[in-house]
Amino acid sequence: MQAEQMIVDKLCKRFDFLQDRIHVQREKRIFTSPLPREEFEQVIHYLHDEMGFYKASHVVGTDDGDDLGFIYILSNREGIILALKEKAPKLDPRIRTMTELYPSLELHERELVNLFGAVVEGLPGDSSYPLPDGWPKGSYPLRKDWKPEYFDKNTMTYKPPIYEGEKEDGSK
Amino acid sequence: MNENEKKGTNRIVIPIGPQHPSLKEPGCFTIVLEGEKVVDAHIGIGYNHRGLEKACESRNYIQTLYLIERVCGICSHTHSTAYCQGIEELTGLSIPKRAAYIRVIVAELERLHSHLLWLGVAAHEIGFDTLFMYTWRDREKVLDILADVCGNRVNYGINTIGGVRRDIDDEMLKNMSKVLDFLQDQLKYYLDLALTETTLSARLAGIGKLSREEALSFGAVGPVARAAGIEEDIRVIEPYAAYPEIPVKIVTDTHADVFGRTIVRIKEMLESLEIIRFCIKNLPGGEIAVKAPRRIPAGEVISRTEAPRGENIHYIRSNGTDILDRIRVRAPSEANWHGMRHMLQGEYLADVPITIAAIDPCYSCTDRAIVVNSGSKTEVMDWQALRQFGIEWHKKRGIDLSAIKMPERKIYSL
Repeated sequence: MQAEQMIVDKLCKRFDFLQDRIHVQREKRIFTSPLPREEFEQVIHYLHDEMGFYKASHVVGTDDGDDLGFIYILSNREGIILALKEKAPKLDPRIRTMTELYPSLELHERELVNLFGAVVEGLPGDSSYPLPDGWPKGSYPLRKDWKPEYFDKNTMTYKPPIYEGEKEDGSK
Repeated sequence: MNENEKKGTNRIVIPIGPQHPSLKEPGCFTIVLEGEKVVDAHIGIGYNHRGLEKACESRNYIQTLYLIERVCGICSHTHSTAYCQGIEELTGLSIPKRAAYIRVIVAELERLHSHLLWLGVAAHEIGFDTLFMYTWRDREKVLDILADVCGNRVNYGINTIGGVRRDIDDEMLKNMSKVLDFLQDQLKYYLDLALTETTLSARLAGIGKLSREEALSFGAVGPVARAAGIEEDIRVIEPYAAYPEIPVKIVTDTHADVFGRTIVRIKEMLESLEIIRFCIKNLPGGEIAVKAPRRIPAGEVISRTEAPRGENIHYIRSNGTDILDRIRVRAPSEANWHGMRHMLQGEYLADVPITIAAIDPCYSCTDRAIVVNSGSKTEVMDWQALRQFGIEWHKKRGIDLSAIKMPERKIYSL
């Protein structure tokens, strides 16, 4: 796992904030901890421009409680995968599109908008993918608090039960 | 005066789909034409999205295995393999060698039937229906072997966490060898046909161009990337199952067009035959599975396999319970869509169907579909019952097929 460790060492040398936040999981797998937007953007540009991570296979959205997580699966010519993570607070889930660096991320970033409610700044086009037209606004099915049983596909409405002391939008 | 005339252009916008002429799955292509030439295209997909990944978050690991297998009807084994080996990595399980070999045999049979299916579809798209019939006839033989080995023609159900569910006996291997010999002759004929028959080369060469640089930029995978000279194959880059012990040659081509993709797929089938022969000759004895725990330790894993259409990636995150926290399937078709707009630009309208078909798009894979039958009655039919059902169904509609005699089929019970 010499090649993997060399990548980690080089990144840690370049970015102090990556110390203890990046590790080799096994051969051909490097994972980082979730990084805030500014740090994430510095690292992904460096990986693309300077370290030969030419390919972005996809970006996985995750619901991490108060934050939304975004895991960018990048790889280089040796087939080493680096899972670079970004996080954004659910209350303001703004990230910047990476389609200028990696055009292959367009569909995946659209998914983040539709399924997780992320705001991807600079993402070209405005068509909905993959949810159908007429999907209820503010309803993000891959968030953990979204339950399929409250969705009516005939009327395309999402109506979770309102508990005592809660307003209709779920706030207290 | 219409809008185009006002702007001084002859551009016409043609919406094709969601039911479209190329494949029997939904996708909407908005083609902008100038005369007969495509100047731009918009790709609309997502019609098959059924929330499979969300469904996995409320089922245990074994139930999820069968959902994941249904991501795609053609390459179901590659998805269940990626899923199982991901869970095995999280639990630290090492599967028996025999199980690893059986996984490879089924994977290569799957590649054979998928590529034969594609070759038939491609032949049909260019009006070469004789080749379409030949290849689909040959594909049936592969599906018969899969039915013998797995019990199913598609959605094989062979994989389980910790190994495989069924063993392969000597008779199955003998039958398999006979079919491999038959396919060897057929595939050599198809390769010769592709290289020498002018009908094919004239119709396929120079169509759907995607250069090496463009393929790298758009993240193309599988035969689309390899036809542009990119030497990428997960079986070689990151060998899984029994591939570390099996010699695998990466097939590439430099045409970077539909013709190149055709050559790559035919040569890959010949390579698959060699891989299966190697597995038959070197199939180790012993157990076919080890016991897997019900609860999976917390962690995350990225598992990948080489599907017939290219690199297949599963991201899995577990939380220490018997239900996973998150799974994301990045099927190969999803990667190949990004270059489609570029491939269509500059083509003639008549070449749009074959250009789309040439990435071997799988909408189910892209959208990760799941079909749930309504109603509570579940019925399992054997081969004869299924045939009888078909006869009755057609009879009600005025067509009597009962006079056609079919050979008895041996079906292995569960």
